[in-house]
Order: sequence, then structure tokens, then C-alpha cells
Amino acid sequence: MLEVKDVNYWYQSKNDVLYDDINLTFDSGKLYGILGSSGSGKTTFLSLIAGLDVPKKGDILYDGKSMKKIGLTAYRNKYVSIVFQSYNLLPYMSAVDNILAALEITNSQRKDRKTYALEMLARVGITEDMAKKNVQHLSGGQQQRVAIVRAMCCDAQLVVADEPTGNLDEQNSQEIIKLFAELAHEQQKCVIVITHERDIANACDVVLELKNKKFNTIK
Amino acid sequence: MNFLKRAFYSTKAKVGRSLLLTFVFSAILIFILAGLTIQSASLTAAENAKKSMGATVTLSANMENAMKEMQENTRDGERPDPSSFSITPIDLDDVEKITALDNLSSYSLSSTTTVNAKSFDAISSEDSSDDSDTEQQGGPGGMQMPEMASQGDISISGTNATAKASSFTGGTAEIIDGVGITEADADSNKAVIETNLAEANDIAVGDTIKVKGDDKTYKLSVVGIYKSTEATDSRSMQMASLNPYNTIYTSYTFANKVKGSDYKNTADSVVFNVTDPEKMDDFVKAAEATGLDTDTYALTTNDQVYQQMVQPLDNVKSFANKIVILVAVAGTVILALIVMLTIRERKYEIGVLMSLGEKRSKIIAQFFTELVFVLVIALVVAGVSGQFVGNAVGKQLIEQQTTTQTTDTASNAQGGPGMGGGQGGGAPSGMPSGGGQGGPTMGGNMPQAADVQEQISDLDITLSMKELIELGGFGLGISFLAVIIASISIMRMKPKKILIS
Repeated sequence: MLEVKDVNYWYQSKNDVLYDDINLTFDSGKLYGILGSSGSGKTTFLSLIAGLDVPKKGDILYDGKSMKKIGLTAYRNKYVSIVFQSYNLLPYMSAVDNILAALEITNSQRKDRKTYALEMLARVGITEDMAKKNVQHLSGGQQQRVAIVRAMCCDAQLVVADEPTGNLDEQNSQEIIKLFAELAHEQQKCVIVITHERDIANACDVVLELKNKKFNTIK
Repeated sequence: MNFLKRAFYSTKAKVGRSLLLTFVFSAILIFILAGLTIQSASLTAAENAKKSMGATVTLSANMENAMKEMQENTRDGERPDPSSFSITPIDLDDVEKITALDNLSSYSLSSTTTVNAKSFDAISSEDSSDDSDTEQQGGPGGMQMPEMASQGDISISGTNATAKASSFTGGTAEIIDGVGITEADADSNKAVIETNLAEANDIAVGDTIKVKGDDKTYKLSVVGIYKSTEATDSRSMQMASLNPYNTIYTSYTFANKVKGSDYKNTADSVVFNVTDPEKMDDFVKAAEATGLDTDTYALTTNDQVYQQMVQPLDNVKSFANKIVILVAVAGTVILALIVMLTIRERKYEIGVLMSLGEKRSKIIAQFFTELVFVLVIALVVAGVSGQFVGNAVGKQLIEQQTTTQTTDTASNAQGGPGMGGGQGGGAPSGMPSGGGQGGPTMGGNMPQAADVQEQISDLDITLSMKELIELGGFGLGISFLAVIIASISIMRMKPKKILIS
């Protein structure tokens, strides 16, 4: 589904590359965990596969099509959903409106958008009353669940999450990782979670560790 | 949920920001609306001025050419003979051709002369010489007037209608009893005399008075009495015929009869009132094209009063234009700055939208829509209060302008004695009027300065749908420009930088 071909990236100088030409393949229906210490370049990697930036070298192919050819905006719009550590919800909207806005922007084919959004929110424990409240009135865990539901509801087959449990307690973290697993296994999406927590990584189907500019498969 | 809905939610959620924008936008729009309403009122007032004032074109003898002719007939080295100066009165056949032209509202014939009071006494000051029954040779300036050469104590102002005569239209003369001279009075001996002259001689409407021309006595039937408010000057103290009280209005045919048979079907000058001052030059061209002998006659235009009247309006309009432009530019800059600041605040939101794959153009459209929501409220606020501001500013401006204008006019008037003579430049003085001095007022049927000021101060500032639509257009333009300027930063934003950092 997603192929990373000879990808490399650098910020200041070409001599100071982040990776050792990465070659990876990600398939649908699996939950991937990417481990790595701070500053190892895992978030940069996420920004590359999420279409927030382009590799300085190599290419990323989605179903065989180059991301550069698809275009970053179109790629983000059609093929990928991103979940951030800081939730990144629209602060002036309710939970359900945040999801509806995402469905609108990504041109979701669903007709019963609101009902579907409320159902999905209910699945992650967000009641209808809570769903209609401004997101700023929800707790961190609830906001992250809303962000995950937003990714679940969109038609994109690739979901990337950057430290999705970074701001959550253990219980909430477990619930969130369970949701990601459901997303991968039930909706047959390709879910890539970037984390530095081994417990979270252990819940994934495949775990890759970024160390010394290289990705090593540890699970 | 499209960008319109997002804009609505954002505007609703950020009450403080929306209120600030509404306040700023309202202030900008109020000033623009004030400018627009003043502009529009100035235009309307100028249009009304055009309609009410018109302008005048005076047909008179070409004095310059007459003087040249006199000089050409003089031998080298000799002084020109003043008695050789002659000017030709205007043939009414020529006038008739011109009256058939378009853009003419009315015309006024003027034929003046002097006679001596016979059955009554002219008003005279103690200083004035008793020139009754005195015959003086030569007209003013030594000009020789054909056949007639006497200088009487009564001025005969022949006209086709007193209602069209400049002193009546200008407000310095007013019929207070009986009727005036009309077109139907041609070939009659009807007269309208001044009230002081009438009282001094116990003359009333219906009486008959006698005047003496060169060698003949004429009977005049008094049909009306008028009151003159024209100021007298030192000249009228010297010569009784120059005293406005001694002016008798008659039909122009009577004045011609007194002047002699050579003056039949002629006039000293004709003032044509043109309906549209802007078409005055076209009127002159058309008049010349009727076959008028421009060597003998001159057509002089006069829209001074109109220009005098519209000048303050033009100044106000120009000032209003500047207000509109300045406020629009300043408003755009201020709004752009505010939007830029809010965009900085909303960087995170922009990043979220970008991460969802929203196009930059739609994000900009959302911000534009938010400003349009604010604009609608600001339009209502400006619509309610703009008219009051427009009225206050407009009144202040017009007062300043008319004060300046009146001061200018007054100082101009003091500059030369000729200014008081009215605007038409009918210039009967010096005309072949049998030694006459011309009427007490000169030519054209133009209102006097006081009327002008009154009309200008009537600037009516009202708010119409046109101004509101214009204001909406300005508002949209300002919003668009402000968002475009502020969006430069959005175009340069990278979602990775916003979200990952």
C-alpha cells in the first residue's frame, strides 16, 4: 500500500542526513509501531509519510503512485488521516462538528454523516451530549478519541499517528491503542503509530525501531 | 461542512474578535458612507444648480471690432475721432433664428434709452444737476450715437418681458402693484415705474404719464409699479437717469420708437438663457452657424454664477472623494493588519485544516467569509449612523466652502465697479441707445450672490440604496484586499512547521 523508496532527509546540510536511505513497505490491515529515541527522526519520518513534507531524496509511493505526482494537498485530502499528539481539533467547534468538517474537507462519500459521526463517537465513549459540546470542554483523553474518530471516519486508508498517547494516562493510552488496532483490523486500514513507549509499541502488529539512521524490525 | 459553515462557527465562537472587527469595520464604513453621501449630495446639488441656474449667452454689438474699425479709419499719426465710433444694433431677425435653437429656456431683449420726464419730476439729489430738458451732445465716453444724442433724466429700459429682465429675475426689482411688461405688450406704450418715483409724483396704476424724447412727447400708460432694492452709487447722484428709481420699464418697441426709426426691430442686447451650462459652447457654435455676422456682433458666454455656485460643491465633492479614498486605503491597511494578527493566532487552525487536505484558497475564502459576516453587521451600523455623520461633516464642509466663496466673491466685487452689474453682461451701456446709459442692472437673468449661497447651503444629504450598494461594494473590496494582503503569510505556511513544531 505504502512504499518508502530510498528516502532520505536533511535539514541544514546534505552531509547531515537523518536516515540511511530508507526502504520500507506498509500494508493495509496492519498496525505499525515506530519506536525511536527523541531526535532520532521519527516525527520527520511521519511528516514525510503523512504528506506534510517531501523527502529530499527518494520517493514515497501510495498504491504505486508517487506522492509528488499526487500532490501533497491531494494526498493528505484523499489518502491519509493524521492524529497528532496535541489532538489538533478545530477549537471553535463541537466534537461532532470537527468530524463533519473533516468529512466535508475530505469529500467523504458517506451520506448519513452526522449519524455516522455520532455512532463512531459513541463507540469511543463520547456521548451525544458530549459530542455536541465545544471540544475545549472535553478532557485530553476525550479530545484524542475525537481526533482518532476523525481519522476513522474519513475514507483515507492510511492513518498515521504521532505520539497519540503522549498526553494521556495509562488507562486512556490503552484504550486509544485498542482503537487503533480496531481501525487496522476491522476497517482494514494501514495504521502507523509513532511512539517512544514500548508498551504501546508492543500492542502493534509490526514494530520498527529507528536507530542509527536505520529502521530495524523488532516485531 | 464547507468553509462557509466554518466561517460562521468561527465568527460565532470568537465573539471578542468579531466585535472588534465589527467596531473597526463600522468606523471605516461610516466614514466612507459619509464621503459617499456628501459626494452624492454634491452631485445632486450641482445637477439642481444646472437646472435652476442655467447660463447665459449674450448677443451684443462687437465693441472690439467697432473700436478697431474706428482706428483703421484714422490716418496715421492722428488721434482717432471719437465721433467716428459707431455700433450696429441687433436685428431681431437674427435673434429669431437663434431662439429656434435647442437648449434655450428663455431670452430677454433689452433696448435702453433715456427720455426727459414731462408730466412728472424725476427723482434727483440736491447735488445732481437739473438735466431736465437739457440736451447733452454725445453719449458716455464721447461715443456718437446715431441720430439720438440727448441725455434725459429718465432711463427707459425696453424689454420683451419684465419677468425675464435681470433686475426682476435677480431679485433687485419686484412688481408690487399692477402687472409687468409681457410679450403681448410689444408695440404698446405700457410702462412699469418705480414705487418711489410713483409716490413722489402721486402716480398710480392706470395713470398716464408723459415723457419727452428728442423732439416728441410720448404718453405712457402705467400698468405696474415695482420696487427696486438696487443700491445707488455716486454716479446716480450726478446723473438722474442712473438713479434706479428713475428707470421706467417699457416694451422694447417703445424704447426703439424713442430712439428713432433706424432702431425698428432691433435690440441693444439679447440675453439667451441656456438650460444646460455644459452645453453653452455648443449653443454659441450653433448660434454662430445661423449666419450671424460675428464681425458686427459678439456672443459672450457667462456661467460665472453657475461656476460660483458649483465651486464649493466641487470642493466638497473633491474633499468627499479624498475622504472615501483615504478611509478606504487606511481601512484596508487597518483591517489587513487585524486579519494578519488574527491569522497569526489561528496558525494552528490553519495547520489542522491543511493537514486534512484543505486547499489554501478555501482557507482564505473562509477568512474572507468571516469578514463578510462582520461587514453585513457593520453595514447596518454604518447605514444607521452614516447619514448623521454625513450630515454633520457635509454641513461643516459646505459652510466652510460657502464662507470662503462669499468672501472671495465679496473681495472680487470690491475689486471693480463692474461686478455689481449682474452676470449677464448684457452691456446695454455704450450701446446705441440714443445717449442712454443702459439699465440699472446689466443684462443676464442670473440670481445674485445671496441666492447662490442660499442654494448651496441647501445641500441635502440623504442615504439611498445606491449609496448602500456602493458602500457594500467598498466593504467587499476592502475585505477582499485585507484578506489577500493577510493571506500572503498563509500561502507561505507549511503544515509541518505549524503542527509538528
